[in-house]
Amino acid sequence: MDSLPLLMEGFAGALTPANLLWVVVGCLLGTAVGVMPGLGSSMAVALLLPMTFALDPTAAFILFAGVYFGGLFGDSTMAILMNTPGQASAIASTFEGHRMALDGRAPQALATAAIGAFIGGIIASTIVVFFAPTLAELSRYFGPAEYFALAVFAFIATSSVVSESVPKGLASLMLGLGLSTVGIDAVTGTQRFTLGAPQLFEGISLITVTVAILALGEVFHVASRARRDHPDLKTRSAGRPWLKWAEFKEAAPAWGRGTVIGLPFGVIPVGGSEVPTFMAYDVERRLDRRRRLPQFGKGAIRGLAAPEAAGNSTTGMAMGALLALGLPVSATAAIMLAAFRQYGLQPGPLLFDRNPELVWALLASFFIAMVVLLIINLPFAQLWSKLLLIPQPYLYAGIALFCGLGVFATSGRVFDLLLLLGIGLVGFGMRRYGYPLAPLMIGMVLGPLAETSIRDALLSSDGNYAALIDSPITWFIYGLLALVLAFTVRAAVRKKSRQDI
Amino acid sequence: MSTPMNPSPPAHEDPAPPASSASGPDQPDHPGPAPAGEGTFWHGRSGLIMPVVIAGFSLYILFGVATMDVGDADFPGPQFFPSILGVLGLVLAGIIAAGILRKPEHPENSSGKSWRFHSDFNALGWTVGGFLAFAVLLPWLGWILAGGLLFWCVARGFGSRRALFDILVGLFMSSVAYLGFSVALGLNLPSGILGGGF
Repeated sequence: MDSLPLLMEGFAGALTPANLLWVVVGCLLGTAVGVMPGLGSSMAVALLLPMTFALDPTAAFILFAGVYFGGLFGDSTMAILMNTPGQASAIASTFEGHRMALDGRAPQALATAAIGAFIGGIIASTIVVFFAPTLAELSRYFGPAEYFALAVFAFIATSSVVSESVPKGLASLMLGLGLSTVGIDAVTGTQRFTLGAPQLFEGISLITVTVAILALGEVFHVASRARRDHPDLKTRSAGRPWLKWAEFKEAAPAWGRGTVIGLPFGVIPVGGSEVPTFMAYDVERRLDRRRRLPQFGKGAIRGLAAPEAAGNSTTGMAMGALLALGLPVSATAAIMLAAFRQYGLQPGPLLFDRNPELVWALLASFFIAMVVLLIINLPFAQLWSKLLLIPQPYLYAGIALFCGLGVFATSGRVFDLLLLLGIGLVGFGMRRYGYPLAPLMIGMVLGPLAETSIRDALLSSDGNYAALIDSPITWFIYGLLALVLAFTVRAAVRKKSRQDI
Repeated sequence: MSTPMNPSPPAHEDPAPPASSASGPDQPDHPGPAPAGEGTFWHGRSGLIMPVVIAGFSLYILFGVATMDVGDADFPGPQFFPSILGVLGLVLAGIIAAGILRKPEHPENSSGKSWRFHSDFNALGWTVGGFLAFAVLLPWLGWILAGGLLFWCVARGFGSRRALFDILVGLFMSSVAYLGFSVALGLNLPSGILGGGF
C-alpha cells in the first residue's frame, strides 16, 4: 500500500498554521452549533456553504470536516445534558445518556460519548485512508449504467428507509430532482422550466436550495412554535468528564461493536447515521437483557457508548464514500458534494489523480479534527452549555441574517433572495407536515448525475433499457438495494404486528 | 429565553366556544380556543396543502415538457427525465392526499394549551414578512439598514418585545457583517442610501 506516505504528505499539508487554524475554527464552530438546541451540523454546513467564495478549496473542506464532526460531538453533549438532540443521529444517545445525567453521572456520560465518538471517528478515518483509493480504483469501471444504479440506490434508500411514510419521502425526492432539472439542459442546450427568465438559465443554485431547506425553513419552523412550546432548558450540572477504569472496561466492547455497526452505513446511503445509531443501541439492549443484572433503563453506559461510536464511524466512512465515489449518504454529505462542485471538482477517481494534495490533506485533517474535538470537548463540556444563554430571538434572527448574507454573497441578486424565501416556505411546510428533508437534498445534488447517466446509457444502446442492467456491478448494486428494502419492509411489518398485540 | 409573557394567540377575538359544544375529543382538558375548523371536514386535513404544492410543481414540469422547444434531439432528450418526474409527482400527490383524506393528521402539541392553528401565524408573518421586506428593500436601503430590519422582524417574531434594543443589536450585527464581508473580504454588498444615493 502506498497510502501511508501519501497520508504523511497530507499531514504535512494539513499541519500548516493556516490549515490548522481552519481545523480548530471548524471544530469550535461545529461544536457551538451542535450545542444549540435544535441545530445540528447540517445547518452549520449549509450556512457555511456560501463562504466557499472566500476560501481556497483545501481550507474550505478542512473547515467543513471540522464542522461536520464538531456538530456530532456538540449535539451529543446536549443530548446527554438536556435531552435536546439537534439531529436524528443524536436521538439514540439521549435514552441512556440523559438518564445517566439525571442520575448525577453526567461527567461519565460526557466522557463515554466523547471517547466513543473519537474511537469511531479514528477507526473509520483509518479505514478510509486505506480503502478509499481502492474504492476510487473500482469506480473506474463505472460507466453511465453503473452511476445511474448508484444514484437510484441513493434515491430509493434515503427516501424509504428513514422516513416514516414512503410516499412523503419519495415526494421530497421528486421535489429535489425537479428543482435540479430547471435551467439549460447540459446535453442539448434546451431551456427547461425557466419561463424565459434569464435568472434561471444557469439553473437554481444548490446554495440557494441548501440554505433555504436546511436553514431558513428551520427558522420559520421554530418561529411557528417558539412562543408556544417552552422546552425545559435547565442544564444538569456536569463536572469535569472522566471515567473510572472499571467504567472504561465496561464501555470498551460497546465502543467496538458500535464502530463496526456504523462502518458499512458510511457507504450504504440510507440517510446518514440515524439507522446505525439506533441499530447499535438496539444490539446493546438485547445483549444487556441476557446479562445477570440488566442495566438498561437505569443509565447503562453501554447504551450510550455504542450509538456514539456508530454515529461517528458512519460519518467518517461517509466522507470516504463521498471522496471516492462522489456518493453522498446524508444531507450533510450532499452539501459537501455541492461544495466540491462550487470549486469545479468532481469527487471520484479523478479527484485522487488530479488533486492528491487536497484529498490527502483533507483525510489527514480528519485525524487532527478528532484530536482537537476530544481536547475541546472533554474538559470544557460545561463551558459549552453556557452558549444556551444566547436568547433564542437573537440566535434565530442572526441565522436569518446569515442566510440572506450567504445567498446574496454568492449570487448578488435579489431574485435569489426571493427564491430562497419561496423554497424556505416549502421547507417549512415539509417540516410542519413531516416530510423528510434529506431526499430532497440528495435528489437536488445527484439529480444531474442520474439524468445524464441514464441518457448516456440509453443513447449508446439505442434506447434499449436492458443496457441499464447488463453488468455485474449493476446487478450487485440493485441486489443490495433489494436487500435493504427487504429489511426495511420486514422491520416495518414487525413493528406493526407488535403494535397490534 | 424570552420573557414568559402570556402567549395569547393573535386570533383571540373569536371567543373560545364553551366546552360543552362539540369540544375536541382528543384534548378535552387543554385551555384555549378551539382549533379552527374543528368538527368540520378540514380539521386535521390542512396537510392537503403539501400534495397541492407537489401536484402544482409536477404540472408545471409537465407543462414545461409539453411546451419545450426541443429541436431534433435523439430519443432520451431533455424531456425524458422530467416527464418521468412529473408523472411520478402527480401519482405521489394523489397517494398522499388519499392518505390524509382517510386519516386526518393531528400534530403533537406539547404546549399544554389548545390553539386555533397549530402554527403561530403571527410569528410566521413577522419572520416571513421581514425576510420579504429585506429581499425587496435591500438595493434601496443598503445592506446595513435592510439587515437590521430583518434582524428586528425575526427577533420580534420570536417574541422579543424590546424594539429599540433589538434594532440596535440588529444594526450592530449587520454592520459587523458589512465590515467583515464587504470591507475585509471584498464582497459587493449594497450600501444603499447610506452610501449617498442609489
